[in-house]
Amino acid sequence: MEHVSAKGNFNLRGIVVRFGFLIVFALFFAFFATWNPVFISGNNLLNIVEGSAILMIIALGMTLIVATGGIDLSVGIALDFGAAFAVVAMKTYDMGWGSAVCAGLIGGSLVGLFNAALVVGLRISPFLATLGTFFIGSSVQRIFTNGGGPISHRRMPDGFRNIAQGDVFGIPSEVILAAVLVVIYYLVLERSVWGRRVHAMGMQRSASIVAGIRVNRILIACFVFASITCAVGGLISAANIRMFTPLSGFSYLLDAIAAVFIGAALHPRGRPNVLGTVAGVLFLGMVTNGLNLMGLNFNTKDALSGIILVSALALAVAQRNMRNADGD
Amino acid sequence: MQANARHQKHALATFVGLLPLIIFLALLLYVGLNAPNFLTFMNLKLVLAQSLPVVLAVIGLSAVVMAGGDDVVSGGIDLSIPATAVLCAGIVAVITTAGLSLVLAAGAALVACMLVGGINALLVTLLRMTPLLTTLAMFVAVVGINNVITSRRRLDLTSDAIASLRQDFAFGLPLGIIIVGILVLISYHLLHRTKWGLNLQAAGGSRDAAEISGIRVNTLVAQSYLLAAFMGFVTGFFILARGNGYSPGTEDNLMLEMVLANFLGAAFSPRRVVTMWGAVLGAVLVAAISIGLKTIGVNVFWTDLIKGALIVTVVALSAISERVR
Amino acid sequence: MTEAAFRLRDIVQVFPGVRALDGANLTVHPGEVHGLVGENGAGKSTIIKVLAGVYQPAEGHIDVGGTAISPATPEKIHAAGVRFIHQELHLVPHFTVTESVFMGQELAGPMGLATTRMRRAAEAFMRDQLGSALPGNRLIRDLSPAERKLVQVARALIDGEARVVVFDEPTAPLASEEVLKIMKAIEQLKSRGIAILYVSHYLNEITELCDRVTVFRKGKDVAVFDEITADTGTELVSAMIGRELDAFFPATSRQAGEVALRLQGFSDGQTFEDVTLDIRRGEIFGIAGLIGSGREELVDALYGLRRRASGTLTLDGTVLDTQSAANAVANGMVLVPRDRRHDGLVLPMTVEENATLATLDESSSLGLIDRKRIREVTQKLIGDLDIRPANARAVTRYLSGGNQQKVVLARWLAKSAKIFIFDEPTVGVDVGAKSEIYQLIENLASEGAIILMSSSDPIELVGTCDRVAVMMRGEVRTIIEKDALNVDHLVAMTTGATDMPEVAHAG
Repeated sequence: MEHVSAKGNFNLRGIVVRFGFLIVFALFFAFFATWNPVFISGNNLLNIVEGSAILMIIALGMTLIVATGGIDLSVGIALDFGAAFAVVAMKTYDMGWGSAVCAGLIGGSLVGLFNAALVVGLRISPFLATLGTFFIGSSVQRIFTNGGGPISHRRMPDGFRNIAQGDVFGIPSEVILAAVLVVIYYLVLERSVWGRRVHAMGMQRSASIVAGIRVNRILIACFVFASITCAVGGLISAANIRMFTPLSGFSYLLDAIAAVFIGAALHPRGRPNVLGTVAGVLFLGMVTNGLNLMGLNFNTKDALSGIILVSALALAVAQRNMRNADGD
Repeated sequence: MQANARHQKHALATFVGLLPLIIFLALLLYVGLNAPNFLTFMNLKLVLAQSLPVVLAVIGLSAVVMAGGDDVVSGGIDLSIPATAVLCAGIVAVITTAGLSLVLAAGAALVACMLVGGINALLVTLLRMTPLLTTLAMFVAVVGINNVITSRRRLDLTSDAIASLRQDFAFGLPLGIIIVGILVLISYHLLHRTKWGLNLQAAGGSRDAAEISGIRVNTLVAQSYLLAAFMGFVTGFFILARGNGYSPGTEDNLMLEMVLANFLGAAFSPRRVVTMWGAVLGAVLVAAISIGLKTIGVNVFWTDLIKGALIVTVVALSAISERVR
Repeated sequence: MTEAAFRLRDIVQVFPGVRALDGANLTVHPGEVHGLVGENGAGKSTIIKVLAGVYQPAEGHIDVGGTAISPATPEKIHAAGVRFIHQELHLVPHFTVTESVFMGQELAGPMGLATTRMRRAAEAFMRDQLGSALPGNRLIRDLSPAERKLVQVARALIDGEARVVVFDEPTAPLASEEVLKIMKAIEQLKSRGIAILYVSHYLNEITELCDRVTVFRKGKDVAVFDEITADTGTELVSAMIGRELDAFFPATSRQAGEVALRLQGFSDGQTFEDVTLDIRRGEIFGIAGLIGSGREELVDALYGLRRRASGTLTLDGTVLDTQSAANAVANGMVLVPRDRRHDGLVLPMTVEENATLATLDESSSLGLIDRKRIREVTQKLIGDLDIRPANARAVTRYLSGGNQQKVVLARWLAKSAKIFIFDEPTVGVDVGAKSEIYQLIENLASEGAIILMSSSDPIELVGTCDRVAVMMRGEVRTIIEKDALNVDHLVAMTTGATDMPEVAHAG
């Protein structure tokens, strides 16, 4: 009934509640476009999407874990392991690109299995468990690379390089990979029976147990699934720069968390959700790209994107609060 | 008979609960036996001096966790403290390098740091944003701003007053250690021995219980973020003293060490909750282990692995002892 | 006559769509223990909140100690010396007794907290006023529920300003032997001239403890009893329920079938021991017992929520695996849990999501949810159970207690299970929905389901069950057959007031 009256007369609050974040998204878009018309060129828009591909993939994994009611600080480790296993498989063991991809995915899944063992087996809270995994995984990389030097592999098989550098009808293959994963995640998390159970478990574990949901199994599957997803990000990154750079996954962590929570705040009931995460990632990608085109210096750009991040989150949460207040 | 069984169970829980501390002491003893000069006064001073920034940061963090509750995701946490600390260090370094007075520099840094704390408090209490998310985002933003201020340069220390934290001695101890010691005692009193501190703990322990007892939870939570920002401010000077100037990129490590120390501290406390003194003890022990492992020649690449294993072991033991109880 | 400790007159409290209080009166005198009884939804908790100043009534007068208070705010009420002992144990688990007693009213000395002084004061108060020698440095989480309750009482009274103390269901989480501690403490308070309002479902406690009793029904005081004897219990019951008792429970001509579900030697090694029960198909089998009797734990163990130490469960002679809740559900056993908001519903989810949570597989293809089909299923369930609002997308958090319970029921009806366990099925459910829920349970039994009904409400058990097992201190003390089942007898057996079977006890 609230909404009917909001529709009837011009109501600023009603507009903010419904479209607040979208308006900001649009304002930023318009601002960047006026500042530098290159911003809205097809090429640049594709750049934004391409530049966001790895973050998108990591953020999808994060969405899944946040939907279970946890958080995963070790997404970067899974990315690193994915890249490392694939590069080593090709370089040291001379494997073909298909086997290297499998090796990378298996490498990533080890991280998820370890997390699952800590969270489900030892009942450590996800934050602390994945923090431990982060420490251990970082150290393992340093030990393995003798201090953190990159492992480069110039003569990568073409098949592997195509993961990042190929294209289909002009669309970069990493964008296609990310898009396919978005679709899979959307179907699994938002439309499938299993995804419904994940959400239920994340929101109220005890009630889900009583409803007959096997929560431990689901939790293990989620950690493994998320880490394999992040490993795909690692494959792309390795294929892009033809090397494995230790500890490079960490840089995606904060942005991935931010994207998921922006997305959750956009959801009518505040749930972490795939489409929201996509919006969050694209927003962050747009801001990074737009600031780049403004020709700002590196440090200023960083500071501005940090401030925009805080404001965007605050706005998204404020919008959700107002919507909830109306809903009561 | 039932009482007896309960008693036995209680004893078991206590033992499992003590294991974290036992593990730590055993590890230190092992280091001490393998490197006889580890357990010396000199080395102790080194350990303490190394741990000062983490000790200071963790005082603030433990206050926030006590006020907000120790559920990491929905409870209280302030990850922005390390950013506040480097912001202070950056501002002070830039202003003093420009030849202006230290007092002015400190004043400017204090205003900036408290602004960060104020924004945290506002977002968490008024907007009801998740503290983890809020302070993580603030961390990113503040580090970004600081990089603009310092242009990500290394700035050498020009202020003798700050250098004296490291160089000057009183009663045979570096001045810095004495000052931090005093700050620890004051904060201990404030957080554990005053009405305010007890109400803060009540707020985090059970929000409903606190509110029913007429405690203004939101005010206390807000104050805890301000305290944390202030501790970040103080930490900034010790970062400058330890590094003999400002170097970019100290915040990441500080954040991890601070979180590690804080939750290790919970495992040390008999009530199995985050306490200020537990967190400080955690900070010192982590520094001791790091330095100790270096002394006996463990490859530095292994340090993180050992830290990670420690946090996992200790938290798991803590969870097990709760379950036994 | 002495001045009343407090007097509430002609209170009207309206909520959207409900007149929760409709001209209610309540008067309590100094030095008396005054009972307040009534069914769930009769307005007991509303009038307590009016007295507390939490609700501002539309009409009516409040006076405390002869002075009118208008408008009543929590601060003014507190200043007038009215204290509330809330039903929930609002305590910080890792605080000490002393810290909890003085929470929010700490004593300060020149050097910060006066810890020693507070500890002595807390221990002295617990010992002298409440008759409990608790050490002040004991942690709350190491206390028994009754001891926690006493700490809560001490917190309300330690400032010595209390004139009136309201106890809201103080004994709900307690075992019977622990109740005595609370009763003793209340007697001590009374002897100091403090007026006590005692709200409870346990009529035996009311008749034992109270000097006068007010009965609420449908938002009004319908009777005040000035003389209380052990026999007042039945009069209280009829005043509470009115004359609707017969119409309230479904009539039945159902005949129970063969023994189908068999529990043998169930124990969890802690709270219940060697429970053996034979339950028939088409029977509603009740389990009575106070908190602490092992009743709740038995239900949890049966459904795989609690580890069992020994015992077998067979259905028609074959072993039934309910080692985990998921296995129980898979094998046709479902639970309507006592803590609906915590264990029954995923509160942030919608009616549709909750109602179909256990049957998603049946409305999906290739693992994807068929949204159209699931909407149809939900609409049908909403219609069948008359869930209001009839909106599949309503978030269950905002539904009334009765409608929330219907959503839980809807989930299991959709599942077409064989064995239903109802644990406190009507707690916090309004009278209308209550009756509908009983009818549903009756229908399930008529269709041949096996039904276990665990409840702390003797009226409900007598009204619906064919047989009732009474648990006490972890054992099944007796099984009362239908023809011997009446409220007084059941209450007496449950509370341990008697252990003599009343009528000829059919073995």
